[in-house]
Parts: sequence; C-alpha cells; structure tokens
Amino acid sequence: MNMHKIVSGFFFIFAMTLNFGFFYGNPEVLIDHSAYELFAAIVINLIATVLKLGDKTQLGSVLLATSLVADIQLIASATIWAFALYVLNDFGKEATTAIVSLSGGALLANVVSVILFISDTVKSKR
Amino acid sequence: MNDQIFWIILKRLRIPFLVIIVTFAITMLGLTLIDGMDDKGNVYRMSFFDAFYFVSYMASTIGFGEAPYSFTYGQRMWVSGMIYLTVIGWFYAIGSIVSLIQDDALRKAISRNRFRKQVRGLGKPFYIMLGYNSVIKDIINRMGVHDYRFVVLDKDENKIDELILENFYPHVPAMAGDVTNQYMLKMAGIHQKNCLGVISLFKDDSKNTQIATICQLLNKKIDIIVKGSSPRHIEHFKSMGLKHIQDPFEIVSKRIYYSIVAPHIWLLEMWVYGHSLNLRKRDILPHGKYIVCGYGRMGKAIEQGLKKAGIAYVLYDLEAKKYEQENGTTIFGDEKDRNKLLELGVEDAECIIAATQDDLLNLTLLNKAKKINPNIFTIARENSLAELTMFQAAKINKIYIIEKILAESTYNYISRPLLDTFVVELRKQDEEWAKIIVSMLHNSTGISPDYFEIEINLENAYALSLSLQKGEKITLAQIRRSRANREEILPIVYLLLQRGEEIFLVPDSQMHLAIGDKLLIVAKDEYKEDFEYIVNNLYELNYVLGREY
Repeated sequence: MNMHKIVSGFFFIFAMTLNFGFFYGNPEVLIDHSAYELFAAIVINLIATVLKLGDKTQLGSVLLATSLVADIQLIASATIWAFALYVLNDFGKEATTAIVSLSGGALLANVVSVILFISDTVKSKR
Repeated sequence: MNDQIFWIILKRLRIPFLVIIVTFAITMLGLTLIDGMDDKGNVYRMSFFDAFYFVSYMASTIGFGEAPYSFTYGQRMWVSGMIYLTVIGWFYAIGSIVSLIQDDALRKAISRNRFRKQVRGLGKPFYIMLGYNSVIKDIINRMGVHDYRFVVLDKDENKIDELILENFYPHVPAMAGDVTNQYMLKMAGIHQKNCLGVISLFKDDSKNTQIATICQLLNKKIDIIVKGSSPRHIEHFKSMGLKHIQDPFEIVSKRIYYSIVAPHIWLLEMWVYGHSLNLRKRDILPHGKYIVCGYGRMGKAIEQGLKKAGIAYVLYDLEAKKYEQENGTTIFGDEKDRNKLLELGVEDAECIIAATQDDLLNLTLLNKAKKINPNIFTIARENSLAELTMFQAAKINKIYIIEKILAESTYNYISRPLLDTFVVELRKQDEEWAKIIVSMLHNSTGISPDYFEIEINLENAYALSLSLQKGEKITLAQIRRSRANREEILPIVYLLLQRGEEIFLVPDSQMHLAIGDKLLIVAKDEYKEDFEYIVNNLYELNYVLGREY
C-alpha cells in the first residue's frame, strides 16, 4: 500500500467521474447539467493537476499534460457559462452546447489520464 | 531543464497550490448555497461567478466591498469565518511560492543552465581558463581581436562577479565552481570539438598538476597549458607529455642569462614581447659582482642564470615573512640592515637584485642600497601589478613582473605560435648571429618594426596559392618586390618559415614556397599591406613576377 498512490489515484478517478457526471445528459438542455457538478469537477481537476506536479518521469510529464488540457477545457466551459449569462444576456442553444462539448473534451483528456495511470499500475510488479 | 533541482522545486509547490484551491473552493461553495437578498428584497443566491469574484478580492485582501448586493447576516457569518481561512491560506501559499522561486539552489540551477547554453553556443574555437585574476584578464583583453573565445571557471564567486562587471566583448561565459571537479569541466565544454585547450596558471603547482591530470583523462586531444615552477612538478608535467609548461622563473633565469651573455638575443626576445628593437644603455646588465637578495624560487632561478653566465655573486637569504616577524615591518633600512648590506659588499658590487615576495621590502632594500652606492644597477621583482607606478617612480633600472611575464608568454603561445617557435629557435643561436639579424632588421624595416604571421593557403594568399597549385616554382625573393616598381625590393624580412614540422630560421630567399607554409614576416604596416596585395591579387602577383598576360 502506498498512501501517495491512493490519494492521487482517488483524485484522478474522481476528476474523471465528476466530469462524466456533468457531461452526461441532453447537450441542448442546460437543466440536465448542474453548475455545482461543473464547479466540483473544476476543483477536483485542479487538485489532480497539482498532485501531478514535479514528477520527473516520462509518464509523469504526460499525465501532467493531459491534466492541464482537462483544466483548460473545464475552465473555458465555466467562462462561457458566465459570459453568456452576464455579458451576452442571451442563453441560447449555442452557449449550452459549447459548455457541454467543452466538458466532453475535458472528459476525453481525463479518460486518457486514467488509462495511463492504470496501465502504469498494472505494469508495476510490486 | 533536466536539472534535478527544478523538479524538486515543482514538487514543493504542491502544498501551497493545494491550500489555495481547497480554501477557495470551500468558500465559494458556501457563498453559492447561502440565501441572500437583492435590493428589492427578493431572495437570491450568488452564482459561481459572483462567488469567485468576491473570494478573489477577499482572499488577497483587496476588499472592494460586498457585491453584487449588501450581504445578509447569514452570508456575513459565513464570510467572517472564511476571511481567516482564505487570507491565511493565501499568504502562506504566496509566501512559500515566492521563497521557492528565490531559492538559492534553483537560481544556481538556472545560472548553470544558462552557462551551459552559452558554452554550447560558442561558434569559434575556445580555451577554458581556470581561475580568474589579472593575468587572465590581461590575456582576454589582448585576445579581443583574435578569433578565439574563452570560458572562465573560478572557485570564488566574487571573482566571477568581477569578470561579469568587466563586460568583455565578445562575451566570456563564466561560472563559479570547483575547478578540479570534472563535472564543472565538462560543463565548461572540455568535450566540445571546438575546445582547443585548458589554461591553468595557479600559483600552487600541485593544483596545476591535479588539473592537468584530470583534463588529460577527460580529453586527450586538447592542449593543456599549465604553470609549473618547481623542478619536481615540471618533471612530472613533462612525463605526462604536456607540450606547453609555463615556468615564469625559468623565463626570468634565461632572460638574465641572455642579457648578460648575449644582449642581442635578449633584445630580439624582448622585441617579440613588445619592446622596441633598440638596445639602450640601461638594458645592458653589468658584468661585475652581483648581490641577490631573497633565495626563494625566483632567487634560485636568478642564481642559475648568473652561474651559467659565469658571473660572481653573493646570496642573501632574505625572507619576507621571516623579516616581518623579526622586525614587525617590511620596511628595510635600519642600522642592522645597513651593516648587512655593507657586509655583503654593496659598495663594490655592480648590481643588486631584490627578489623577495614582498614589494615594499624589495623597494626599500633597493633604495637603501642605492644610497650607499649610487652607481649600483638595481633589479626588482614585482609581485602585484597594482604597485607598478610606485616602482617606476623609484627609478629602478629593471623590473621583473611575474604576472606580466606569465600573461605575455601564454598570450604568445595561444595567438602567435610562430613567434613562440621563433623565441625557442632564437635561443639556440649565438650573439654574433643575433647582432646580424638586428642590424638587418634595422636596415630594412626601421627601429621598431611590426611583425605578422601568414599561412600560404587559398584563404590568406589567394593568387599565390593558385599559382603554386598549378605547379609553378616561386621563391621567397620573387614576391619580395615593390608593386610600384618590380626592380625595387619591398622592405620586409622573412624571419621564420615553418613547413610541417620543419622550421627554417631566416629562410634562404631562394627557397621555393609551398602551400601550407607558415611565414613570420617583419614589416611596417604599409608594407604588410603591399605584401598582402601581392599574394592575394592575381594582377599584382603577375606584375611582381614579371609575367604578362
């Protein structure tokens, strides 16, 4: 048992599941996608990113890269939400689909990250 | 960015970042869940954007006030708790991030990286200089115009700062670190193809030995220029197969020998180092009795020179440190000292040499001797360049500055290899020969002629090389013609010709030239230009050779 592995594994997978939870649902209906879930996904993703900082190995660098991609996509999605709500004052279908599809991209990055993490675990013989 | 330290720093940033993320997230979540009231009395809840905006300026203590509407008591209770959480978290995190960025190890890693990049970017051949001092500074300054670059390593960080302040152009990459550490040497580019050599002129012979050994192990191809002053170390360097060993005391010994026995050889050698080609009266050392004060490495070297020249001398084993201990000062000249000088026979001696390691002692000793015997010839050893004006003001006949000798001979070795060879060959000749050469130089090139080196190849002598490639036979005399009138001789002197390993001192003018020959030529600047025209320009060459096309 490795405490660091447990904590980081927990956050990596949690980030992915929350992301999926937000993404799941009709992409044109905003009610299907909770703002609280997006908030939680962003926070957990940021924590996961920080946990990947400072790993010099090849795998560590790739993990950090995928995590950064997910962060950018999720934050972009939240920004569009705020922008459409307060600046444009017009919450059309376009804004909704943009928010959901951006989180979909983030989900893909998170899936890659988790696959890499699991494959590394499977590979190690300890 | 492959330095270990960079990753360690990044890893240490984890906690501060986590603190910020977690405190912000808790506070924002609370704010969006608590009921508020807008200006019309309706219940509303903050959006995530409102919460993010508010927390951002709360945590960083900017404090724009309550937004978007005045808070209810429920919100205020939450916020008053969260102020302490977020503000403390913020200060902790920012503080540790700033201190990590300023971390000494990180800054060193960054400067090491920069140094490595600069060394790799040196496009031209370079030498690695170990230790930075006035000698090295002098060499770098002289080399400014040449096509060599330098990399400097020194143990002392202050010295490196000093170097950076010098603002050398072209830039000299420098780094503080242990010079005997092979990792540092590798970083300084010892493995690079354009690394020509390592120069190590430390006072301490055993340090030079250590460095030479390491450098030879790291890269067999490079030139290692070391200073060695004790016979044991010099022997060791020779057994290592080092080609160039700088022994300033040996140079002094030889100079004293030649200036007594063969002043014209001495003159030619000094001319190479920038002296005018003119033997003045005060340059000639007397042949009478000598007094040598100080019997360290310098004293021994002088003794050697005098012995070889067959001059009578007395030795006075004066040691600066011992003298200071006994008398509490290094100012020479009380009654006891005076008696000592008289005992040594200063009254009938013709020359006195002060060769201790203390400048003040040397100066006062010579002054005292001059007071007793005003006609005595005085020679001083000067240890630090800073006191040069003092020595000049004291009207000492001859001054030997070890640092300067070292700088000049190293500089010549690096940048004027033919001159260096010339000096070596010169010492094998006798006074008569030197006299002839000096008068020949006087007759054809004047009192203080300049010299230049040229290699016969397409780059430096285009026209001449083309003709030689065609198989034409051209002698040295044939191209020594005026381009205004080919019947007249161009006033230049061929001092040395090097063909492969063969060396021809003052080559015969009927000698045929070959591609790859290196020539050392004495000429005034204007004639140097003429010569370069002739060997590079086809029309000029044709005219001088008497050919018509």
